[in-house]
Amino acid sequence: MVFLSWMADFIDSLAKRHRLLPWLIAYVLLLPMPFVLSALFSEYLIDLANRICLFILLAVGLNIVKGFCGQVTVGHIGLYAIGAVTSAVLALEPGGFGGALGFGWPIWLAIPTAVLVTGFAGLIVGLPSVRLEGAYLALATLGLGESVRIFIAVTPALGSSTGLMMIPAPSIGSFVFDSFTSYYYLVMTAAVVGIYFSFSILRSATGRAFQAIREDTIAASVNGINVVKYKLLAFVLSALYAGLAGALFAHMPPGYLHHNNFTVIEMVTLLLMVVLGGIGNVWGGVIGAIVVAIAYDQTKDLVFYFMERPIVIQPLVFGLSMVFLVMFMPRGIGGWIEDFQRNRRFIRRSEERLGGSTRNS
Amino acid sequence: MGFDYNSLLAFIIFGVTIGVVYGIVALGISLIYSGLDIVHFAHGEMYMFGAFFGLVLAHNVGVPYPIALIGAMVLTAVLGMAVERVFYRRLTRAGGGYTVAGMGMIICGFGMSVALVNVAYFIWGAEAEPFRANLDYIPRLSFPGDIEVPESYVLTAIISVTLMAALHYFLRHTKTGLAVRAVAHNKDIAYLMGINVPLMISLIFGLACGLAAAAGVLIGPMQSVQVEMGYLMLMKAFAAAVVGGFGSLPGAIIGGIMVGVFENLGAAYISPSHKDIYAFLLLILVLMFKPSGLLGVEAKVKA
Amino acid sequence: MRLLNKVLAGVVTAGVGLGAAAAYAEDIRVGITMRMVSENGQAYGQMVMDEIDAINKAGGIHGNMIKATLMNDECKSDKGVANANKLIFQEKVHLLIGSTCSSVSLPIVDVTAKAGVPQMIPHSTNGKITQKGSEWVFRIPVSGRYYGGVAAKYVGENIGKKIAYICAADAASVNDCASMQAQMRKQFGAEPAYVADVQEKEVDFRSHMQKIKSMGVDGIMVAALAETMARALVQSYEAGIGEDVRRIGSSSASNAPVPKIAGDAVKGVFFTAAYSAADSRPIAKLFNEMTRSRYGIHAPDHDFSQAYDLVRIMEMALKNAKLTGSLAEDRTAIRDAIANVQGYQGLASGPISFCAAPTPQCRDGNRTAVLIGYTKGGENFETEVLARVTMDENFGLE
Repeated sequence: MVFLSWMADFIDSLAKRHRLLPWLIAYVLLLPMPFVLSALFSEYLIDLANRICLFILLAVGLNIVKGFCGQVTVGHIGLYAIGAVTSAVLALEPGGFGGALGFGWPIWLAIPTAVLVTGFAGLIVGLPSVRLEGAYLALATLGLGESVRIFIAVTPALGSSTGLMMIPAPSIGSFVFDSFTSYYYLVMTAAVVGIYFSFSILRSATGRAFQAIREDTIAASVNGINVVKYKLLAFVLSALYAGLAGALFAHMPPGYLHHNNFTVIEMVTLLLMVVLGGIGNVWGGVIGAIVVAIAYDQTKDLVFYFMERPIVIQPLVFGLSMVFLVMFMPRGIGGWIEDFQRNRRFIRRSEERLGGSTRNS
Repeated sequence: MGFDYNSLLAFIIFGVTIGVVYGIVALGISLIYSGLDIVHFAHGEMYMFGAFFGLVLAHNVGVPYPIALIGAMVLTAVLGMAVERVFYRRLTRAGGGYTVAGMGMIICGFGMSVALVNVAYFIWGAEAEPFRANLDYIPRLSFPGDIEVPESYVLTAIISVTLMAALHYFLRHTKTGLAVRAVAHNKDIAYLMGINVPLMISLIFGLACGLAAAAGVLIGPMQSVQVEMGYLMLMKAFAAAVVGGFGSLPGAIIGGIMVGVFENLGAAYISPSHKDIYAFLLLILVLMFKPSGLLGVEAKVKA
Repeated sequence: MRLLNKVLAGVVTAGVGLGAAAAYAEDIRVGITMRMVSENGQAYGQMVMDEIDAINKAGGIHGNMIKATLMNDECKSDKGVANANKLIFQEKVHLLIGSTCSSVSLPIVDVTAKAGVPQMIPHSTNGKITQKGSEWVFRIPVSGRYYGGVAAKYVGENIGKKIAYICAADAASVNDCASMQAQMRKQFGAEPAYVADVQEKEVDFRSHMQKIKSMGVDGIMVAALAETMARALVQSYEAGIGEDVRRIGSSSASNAPVPKIAGDAVKGVFFTAAYSAADSRPIAKLFNEMTRSRYGIHAPDHDFSQAYDLVRIMEMALKNAKLTGSLAEDRTAIRDAIANVQGYQGLASGPISFCAAPTPQCRDGNRTAVLIGYTKGGENFETEVLARVTMDENFGLE
């Protein structure tokens, strides 16, 4: 506990020097990760780390619309799908082996375009939020998300049942990002930037507007906040995150997409990450993504033998975890973080008032 | 060649026969919503458990189909009430009400859905099971134009109407039904009037789950029984409940029929591969433009 | 069981060439990724593990034990790829077996090709799997491209040319449907009378059956996964389409849920597969006995026989491969050993042969499709073999 305090103080002092300093240091510390993981464990963990970075992008993005702005959306996985499929279709060669449709765009053009397209789709997904709230909005967004998946599933041009395959990996000149390590730098950078921007949003006027809408929509509009504009903005911002995550997912080796990568089960897993991390807490979302991804990876082979049938118990545990989290730990890990920060602020303010450090008594 | 009215009639009949089943499940969802102010995302699993209970009773225990139907309804009602009591009840506001702020109940519902599906996997495995029901005493209907309606569909229609009538009678003409309606209207006042609100809540939940179970047992002979059958039915039933109006019981059945007919017509005349999208489309359109549905009260904003 | 193994052991030893590798003294690591939560899915995986256990108990591969890791991929490509990566890079397997669903096998082919790990496919039939030019993939089941030709020939000659198609949206069925239509067109110049693309888990076919009824077709082809197919078959009779219209199934018709759920509606339905429990050979009878007593399976389908043949071929290749202890070299050696398998005749419908070139001609080992018909439905279903055809290796590649 004391160590955490000390760490937090240290980071604050760095931030005083320059706002971005802690971020740059963290980024530099993360750079050698692939080699560390490879040496200590195996290259497989780099692949896992890549997937975790994608989950982080998704969770942080979802937190913007769900946590900051309080809009109940259960269709986020559909936006992820749109980002992935758009980027894949733009980048594939026309009439090629990989899929029926293709435009042969360069990847560095395809990915941003996919992100923008997804942002636009986020606008559409957000339209119901103008009129609906709570469970109604959940239903509408669920319907939209599933419709996207089904549409992909039955449209041959988008891969349909065979999926889109051999989606090209990004390259700069002759260097191709098709190994775990090289892809790590892409997604890790995206994740760090994403987390940073999430904080920027949170601390900006826009972020405050979001939170005002979350707390009390009517009071917010009475105070002059254009509720419609900010709700839609929240959806679009979170959609941009999902679009980037999707595009990066599509081009990740081996470059294969299938509609059942985007089902309700994946959405529920994403929800679990956000709930575990604490709805509305950025670092909570990051931690939630990491914990769930690692837990999933480590437990997927746990097989019990019940009546001579091998039973995989992991999905049951996941479902029950969500129920218990909501029942007993509704604020998630983020709740702990907030408590911790609140304690620190209290101690700091007490010190200021009492004129001196209370720590070494 | 003129428009094929024959086929059109056939598709409408198919839509009605399946729509009635959607309606029964939607009835349960609407009941839970009006009584408990929550949208139960795990309701599809109650439907599935009902179907399996019915299967076990009919095949393994060997009771005749109608007894299996009733038995499944009772067992599922008990299961539902247990789930509500053990898990959902904790999410109540202290002191009598049942409103849950924020997304807690929605997320809990999803989690419960996943958990229930996996419990079912443990018990029954992932195989689809045929549901053979001896329905020889039910007539098979033949419509002009070579349209055959098999016995299972006829039975479904009969049972659905019966259930609706029974529910209506219960709510309107019995004292307990009156208590249920009072609780649905305003829990705090009902509590003050001396009604045992927690008991009524359990009863409402049990009724809703029993209805879902009936739908499951009715669908069984038509489509076989499988652990994953709940999810799609849930979406269709939500669409039905929304179309007819959340909280309106006749609306649920009408909504169900509309969804059934709409998706069948869409599949027949537009494109069969997009069939499930039509139900979602209807859901979203109605939510956007008339969230209160056709017969519903004004859209409540509870979670 | 022991008799069965003795019979097949004879086949194995006949194929053992140079045999004993001198200094290799590690476990041989095999990774398996399959769809486990499905009808019989658990049983396939269980059988593979049991057979590997039996090999180990009988002394392993020249004294080295096989260490097998079984993983579930839920028929999802991202999980399958994650499993493959874990098995290849963390478990450092010498051989990868996977997977059941074509949509999972397709991306894994790229993973194994890039990492240089031999991959044996137990169940997937989608033609594109072996058309990617990978030197590392070997397919044990009959590729979907062969099935269409056999079925079309039988249908055109015995049933008629006016066929209606119900095609579900899963990878294997889309393939089967397209292949059948193409073959009917090619062999008989026949265009489909009706084509309906339905969803993978469609439950309500009545509107299609209604339309088909009024057309007076000779046959209806239902290409779908097991339960979906069963429902379509039942509903075709409920709609009043008589028995004179023959129902044709895709390769998933061989899976047990189809006769189980469809009951009597499955009588007369025929399909192409790579194994029939009605096979009269002694090996087949022994195998049927074994799956019945060990796993409670009434009659094994070709997914069982293919998994079994795969283990036998794997055993053969492992015994032939010269293993040195260098992971990369050993993986290559095992790959080459599999590529050398010629004329292996096990439970499969025909001989399985591979060769070294990375072409579908070389990597689709089994070219013999069996035409099987159901004579009785329900839990204790029965089948008969209608025809057995070995195709030319180039068939279906145009």
